[in-house]
Amino acid sequence: MSVKEAVLQVHDLSVERRGRLAVEGVSFALPAESDTALVGPNGAGKSTLVSALLGLLPHASGRVELLGQPLGANGCLPRSVRAQIAYVPQNLVIQGLIPVSVAEFVGFGFDLPGPRLPWRSGKQRTEAVFIALERTHTCDLRNRLLTELSGGQLKRVLLAFCLVRPRRLLVLDEAKAGLDIHSNEQFQQQLLELRRQEGWTVLQVSHDLEMVRRSSDQVLCLNRKLRCSGSPEATLSEERLGELYGLNMVSQHHQTHG
Amino acid sequence: MAEAEFLSLLSEPFMQRALLGGMLTGALGGVLGSFAVLRQLSFFSDALGHSSLLGITLGILLGVNPTLVLIPFAVIFALLVSQLVERSALPTDALLNIVYSSSLAIAILALSRVETYRGGIQQLLFGDILGISRLDVVVIAAFLVASVIYLGLSMRAQVLLTLNQDLAGAMGVRTRWHGLAFVILLAVVVAISIKAVGVLLISAFVVIPACAGRLLSRSFPVYVMISSGIGGGCALLGLLFSGLANLPSGPSVVMVQFLGFLLAMLVSNRIHSNISGA
Repeated sequence: MSVKEAVLQVHDLSVERRGRLAVEGVSFALPAESDTALVGPNGAGKSTLVSALLGLLPHASGRVELLGQPLGANGCLPRSVRAQIAYVPQNLVIQGLIPVSVAEFVGFGFDLPGPRLPWRSGKQRTEAVFIALERTHTCDLRNRLLTELSGGQLKRVLLAFCLVRPRRLLVLDEAKAGLDIHSNEQFQQQLLELRRQEGWTVLQVSHDLEMVRRSSDQVLCLNRKLRCSGSPEATLSEERLGELYGLNMVSQHHQTHG
Repeated sequence: MAEAEFLSLLSEPFMQRALLGGMLTGALGGVLGSFAVLRQLSFFSDALGHSSLLGITLGILLGVNPTLVLIPFAVIFALLVSQLVERSALPTDALLNIVYSSSLAIAILALSRVETYRGGIQQLLFGDILGISRLDVVVIAAFLVASVIYLGLSMRAQVLLTLNQDLAGAMGVRTRWHGLAFVILLAVVVAISIKAVGVLLISAFVVIPACAGRLLSRSFPVYVMISSGIGGGCALLGLLFSGLANLPSGPSVVMVQFLGFLLAMLVSNRIHSNISGA
């Protein structure tokens, strides 16, 4: 796949967090419709990199292009480009009080950024919400409040939020954190199906190296700098993991997985 | 108070202004409070209210109308405190406590030295809704309309921002801009409501109707509307009660708000037990 077709291109990106360089000189590209995993130890700068790619954190240096449009230093992107990006955060901590129903929340995923009359729901929006809920098997939750959902249900609703409008890029930051084994498998399966059907390009931060091996096309190994990148076979070798995580982690991995 | 006397009181222009102004202030508190409470800014509005006394004192010391000084003071104060909270590693409630108790102490000390000040300290602390002018009512109404338009048009941004700042930013919400705009709006509303409600009771206008509204709502726009309705309705009932019983107006309104909150709790519990039982 040529570089021209890349949905996201990152050139020599450095990002500072709390006064120190958390990500340094990172370059990579996400080919259209690919599934890329971002792996690395805790504190390696994975979430910082994701925040910078989404325009949530300023760049110290370097360049990011999303769908061919440069990301401004202050995180500015044209609305048409921004509408094609969806994000599933690591921990969507719902404030205990907020009275937002599942259908309302998914509807906000349909709306474009900018001012909008709140009572102008529109038939297209209502239908899009219904279809997204149906495809993520969350129709029965439509009138429930977000605060009343379990972790697994909330993740499925977040997928509906992403699905409600055509997107090109889906960024997930440890989206499966806190899910039990069943919910984790269910979420991953649903994500895989939707990615294929929708043609999403996926970038997901993950600690689940087995899942990364099974489902990713490309792996980015980050520990402040990009230590290596390529296919799961090439990047998740014992030697490479040892370099990335340290030897202890590799021996633990062996003890766990035999 | 005899019925005739009460009816005659209601026909007085100052009382009509007070009822209208109180209702608008209550509704305004309900609208902004519904967002402030969810963003955990309740204590911030309380601190802002208490610190407003320093702004009023500044106006008195400078010989300028305190209301004119209070609005810029509240905005600058709110922005500075927001920055302080953002940059400091200390817990927010502790920082706010330091800020508001210090500014309150400075204000009281300064006021005790101002001999020319004729207004009573009690009036500043508990408000004087009967003293609000036609201009005050117009200003409060204008801010209510402005708040409804701004929050209504940016409902998506406000809800996403309240849910999760990173999610909001990724979905194109200008989080910093909207965060600052809300804090400024809250500061201005606190400043213009102080005269009617007083320094000590202003946070009740922001917090109580919103909490009562939350207990009765399962949809965000409905929540904002109910909070606003409770705010305005309680203010009206509280003022009528204060007129009827010849009691101070601000505390009467807060007592009615509190009763409204208790009623909302009862209704909410009844609804939940019906749902569980069904």
